Amino acid sequence: MISFLKRIQCKITDACKIGGEIGRSKAVETIESELEEMENIFGVLVLGSFVGMPSPPMQISLDLMPYMEKELLLMMEKVDTANEPISQLFSVFDID
Amino acid sequence: MEKPINIFYMGKGGVGKSTSATLNSLFLAQRGFEVLIVSLDPAHNQSDIFEKDLSDKPKQVAPHLKAIEIDQDHWIKRYLKDVHEQIRRTYSYLTAFNLEKYFKVIKHSPGLEEYALILAFKEINRKFSKMDFLVFDMAPTALSLKFFNLPTLSLIWINHLLALRKEIIKKRELITKVRLMKKEIETDKVLSRIQDSIQEYTTLKGLFEDPDLTKINLVLNPDQLSLAESKRIVEGLGAINISLSQVIVNKMQENSSMDHINREFKGIPMLKVPFSETPLIGLDVLTKFLDANEEKLMEQPLQILKNGVK
Repeated sequence: MISFLKRIQCKITDACKIGGEIGRSKAVETIESELEEMENIFGVLVLGSFVGMPSPPMQISLDLMPYMEKELLLMMEKVDTANEPISQLFSVFDID
Repeated sequence: MEKPINIFYMGKGGVGKSTSATLNSLFLAQRGFEVLIVSLDPAHNQSDIFEKDLSDKPKQVAPHLKAIEIDQDHWIKRYLKDVHEQIRRTYSYLTAFNLEKYFKVIKHSPGLEEYALILAFKEINRKFSKMDFLVFDMAPTALSLKFFNLPTLSLIWINHLLALRKEIIKKRELITKVRLMKKEIETDKVLSRIQDSIQEYTTLKGLFEDPDLTKINLVLNPDQLSLAESKRIVEGLGAINISLSQVIVNKMQENSSMDHINREFKGIPMLKVPFSETPLIGLDVLTKFLDANEEKLMEQPLQILKNGVK
């Protein structure tokens, strides 16, 4: 009987752990997409002239550019999906 | 002397900036100071004034006096080549390859002209740090103001970028902590570069604002147009905390009216340079002109000498 109860307790603990894990993972995913958005803003701010945005003095962009491959690629990718912002937002919040 | 004194000659096109800069350089060199005169004006005049072929390598034009003319295009090309090389090293092959075509266009971007002058200025200060005086013959007003404005403007942008980058790093650290149960140890290269840039621009801004190391000499003629532009220069420099050291009224004649000029630049040391009937070209003519007008010219440059070391 005791071992049966213990098993149930373990299962409940595991379920809680998994639930917590899922919740944490979901929260991190949301922060990740927020981070991606911020990195994109940073990319657009610094390298915006490459996609037709107002940009800082050219030398600032050029000085930072060698370290910003990730942001540059992300920005280019965002330009491709820029016409579907709502679908992007829905996918962040897992709305089907 | 630890660092050379930078003397800049600014003013409306055609007022005699180059000639005034040359006379000042020669005056200082005659008194035993080591002087380098640098033309930062893309339309160089120093070759014509000294009647010598000058380039971006220093050439002795008189005892204790060397001259150099900055090739702006060379500095732009050199800078872009460095950035391009860095990108080739740090980017994946495909991304770097895709950027090739942009680099052909970037060299024509607005803003690179004044940055090229800043790069040249920094290099000259580093390379000729043993000189007593570095005399800069500047480009006409618009480009010169952009030159002095560059550190301030860059700092405004870069401080905003710094704040945003710090936010990004904070978020990234949070994610790594949850995902990998540890903090990200890797330093952010973008942040390091931003901090380096802030340091560089702050040093440069400090140098421009330091009246002991940077002397701004404003050249004008006793006429309304050059006075109007001179006022705009003073306003432009005042907005970025740079003050005038001296006003040089060039091409003075007997009947020149000085009322407006005296009123406008009250309290600022003023040097009046008489009009010369013969064109001031060639070392002999320049030396004779200095000798003939020694009394008048002695007053103000001597102030610099007194503040200097010799």
